[in-house]
Amino acid sequence: MEAVFSGIALILEPFNLALIFVGVLIGVLVGVLPGLSSAMAVALLLPFTIGLEPVPAIAMMAALYCAGTFGGSITAILINTPGAPPAIATALDGYPLAQRGEAGRALGIAAVASVMGGLFSLVVFILAAPALAAIALQFRPQEYFALTLFGLSMLATISGKSSLRNLIAGALGVLVSTIGVHMSTGVERFTFGLSGLYEGISFVPVLIGLFAIGELLNQSQTLDKTVERIKSVAVRLPSREDFRRVRGTILRSSGIGTFIGILPAEGSTVAAIIGYNEAKRWSRNKEEFGKGSIEGIAGPEAANNAATGGAMVPTLALGIPGSGTTAIILAALIMHGFRPGPYLVRETPEFIYAIFTAMLVANFLFLGIGLAGAKIFSRITLIPRTFLWPSVFVFSMVGAYAYAQTPFDVWVMLISGIVGFVMLRHGFGPAPFVMGLILGRLVEETWSQSMVIMDGNWWGFLESPIVLLFLGLTVISLFWPLITEHVPKLFRSRRGAEAGSP
Amino acid sequence: METARSGHGRLIHKTDLGLALIVLALCGALWYATAQFDEVPAVLQQGVLPTDFPRLVIAVIAVLALLLPFEHIAHARRGSNIDEERSVKVKPISMVTALVLIGLVAIMIPFGMYPTMVLAAAVMPLLWGERRFGRLALYVLLFPLVVLLLFEQGLKVNLPPGVFGDLLG
Repeated sequence: MEAVFSGIALILEPFNLALIFVGVLIGVLVGVLPGLSSAMAVALLLPFTIGLEPVPAIAMMAALYCAGTFGGSITAILINTPGAPPAIATALDGYPLAQRGEAGRALGIAAVASVMGGLFSLVVFILAAPALAAIALQFRPQEYFALTLFGLSMLATISGKSSLRNLIAGALGVLVSTIGVHMSTGVERFTFGLSGLYEGISFVPVLIGLFAIGELLNQSQTLDKTVERIKSVAVRLPSREDFRRVRGTILRSSGIGTFIGILPAEGSTVAAIIGYNEAKRWSRNKEEFGKGSIEGIAGPEAANNAATGGAMVPTLALGIPGSGTTAIILAALIMHGFRPGPYLVRETPEFIYAIFTAMLVANFLFLGIGLAGAKIFSRITLIPRTFLWPSVFVFSMVGAYAYAQTPFDVWVMLISGIVGFVMLRHGFGPAPFVMGLILGRLVEETWSQSMVIMDGNWWGFLESPIVLLFLGLTVISLFWPLITEHVPKLFRSRRGAEAGSP
Repeated sequence: METARSGHGRLIHKTDLGLALIVLALCGALWYATAQFDEVPAVLQQGVLPTDFPRLVIAVIAVLALLLPFEHIAHARRGSNIDEERSVKVKPISMVTALVLIGLVAIMIPFGMYPTMVLAAAVMPLLWGERRFGRLALYVLLFPLVVLLLFEQGLKVNLPPGVFGDLLG
C-alpha cells in the first residue's frame, strides 16, 4: 500500500503534473496534425527527458501516448483525415456524422469513449502488471527467450499490409541490435572500424530518424496536395440517450482494446479496427454504419485508447513492447537506467503506480482539453507544412545530438530516416524494425544464457511447458495470416459441399 | 500518375524480385562480414558464439526475402495492391530535400549547430515553396533562437559551436 501512495505522491507533485499537462497538450497537438504520430512525438521527446528524473520523464511520454491516440480522432471526424493510424476506423462514421452538421456530437462521443476505454484499460493494467510480473519472476532465460520469440513473431499479425515485410523489418532490427562489441567475448561485430559503432547503435537517433525524418520525406511527396482546413466546432457531451446507445459498445470495445494492447507488438490500430467491426456486428442498427453511426465512433475510440493501457502491461511487466510507441517508451526506460520487466515491478512498484496515476490524470486531462479546447485545436491544422516540417528537422537534428552529444548520432538519425523512407515505400514499416531493434539484444542474451544453462543441448528448451506454450504461440502467430485466410474458406467449402450433397 | 511496374498477372513480381536480390546481396555481404569477426579465445568459447546469432538472423532474413517476389499473388487474391505505397515515383523534391538534409548535417560540425539551424529554417521552407517572406524572416529569426535557448540554457546541452562560435569565443 505504501508503494501505491508513493507512486501517487510522485505524480501529484506540481512539476510532474505540469509535465503531464505538457505531454497531453503535445499529444493532442500531434494527434490532430496528420503526418505527426505519437510515436514520432515520443521519439522527439526522448532527448528532452535526459535531464529529468525517470518518473516524470516516462509519465510525460505515457501521457503523450494516451492523448495522441485520442487527438487523431479530431481530424478523422472533422476532415476525414485521421491524424494518427488508430483513428482510421473513427473516420468511417465520424466524418459522415460531421457532414450532417453534428461534428460536436461526434467529437463528444469520441472523447467520452476514449476516456472510458482508457480508464478501463488502466484498471486492468494496475491489476495485471504486478500479477504478470509475479509469474514472469519464475521465468528462467529459456522461458524468456521463448517469450521474446513470441513477441517478435507477433510482428506477423500487426497492422500493415504485409506480414512478410513486417517480419523482415523486425529481423533487420534484430540484426542492427547486434552491431557493436559482443558483451561476453569482446569481439567487435559489424563495426567496420568506426569507433561510433563500438557500443552499438543508440536507440534514440534511430527512433528519431525512422519516425520523424522518414515521415518528413514522405510529406515532401505530398506537397502539391492541398490540406483541408478545419472549421471551428463546439464539442458537446453525449446526451443520456446517446450514452445509453453506446455504453455496451464502449464496454465491449474497452475489453477488446485492452486484450489486444496486452498482446506483444499489437497496438491501437488493430484494436480500433476490431473494435469497429465488433461494434457493427453487435449493433441493432447495422444499416447506420458508414453513414454516421455513433456506435461506429464509440467502438474504435474506446478500443484504441484501451489499447494504450493494455500495451503498458507487457512493456513494464515483461520488458516486451505492447506497441510501436511503447517500444520507444521501453527505450526511454533503458535510457534512464531501468531494466523493464518483472524486476522493475518487484523492486520499484511505486514506479508502476506512478505511471498508472500519470495515465489516469492524462485521461481526465485530455477529456477536458478535448472538450474545451477543440475550437483551438481545430486551428492547429492552419500551421503551414512549410514551417512545421523544417521545425521537425531542427528538433530531430538537435535531439539526436543532445542524447550523447556526438555528431555520429546525427548521421545515424539521418541515415535511419532516409533508409526508413525507402523501406516504407516498399511496405517495411518502422514499428516492426524498432521492435526488432529493442528485442534483439534480449533475444540474444537469453538464448546465450539458456545455451550455457542447458550445456549446449537444444532439446533442453522442450523440457519446459512454458517454453513449449510460447513456442506453440509463436508458430500460431507466424502462420496467423494464413490461418485467417484459409480456415474460413475451408469451413465455407465444407458447408457448401454438405448443403450440395443429397 | 506515374506508376512503378506492377507484377499483376505474373508469377514473379519484378520490383519485389529486385528488392529480394538487394536483400539477399546484403545478407551475403553481412554473412561475409561475420566471417571477418575476430576469433574467440578457447576459454571464452561457451554458449553462443558472437557469429552464431547474427548468422541465424541473416539466414532468417534471406529465407523470408526469397518469398518476396511471390507475395503479390496472395495480395492479389485478397484484392489488395502491394504496389500502393510505391505506385507514385519518388519526386525530385523528395530527393532534393534528402540532399539538403545531408548537406545540413555535413556542415553542422564545421559551422556549428546554431548557424545550421538558421540555414535549415531558411532553406527548407523556401525549398518547399514558402514565399511569404515576412513570416519566413520571423521564423528564421525566432525559431532557431528558441531551440538554442531551450537546449543550451534549459537542458544544459552543449551544442557544437563550430567556427562561428569559436570566433565569438
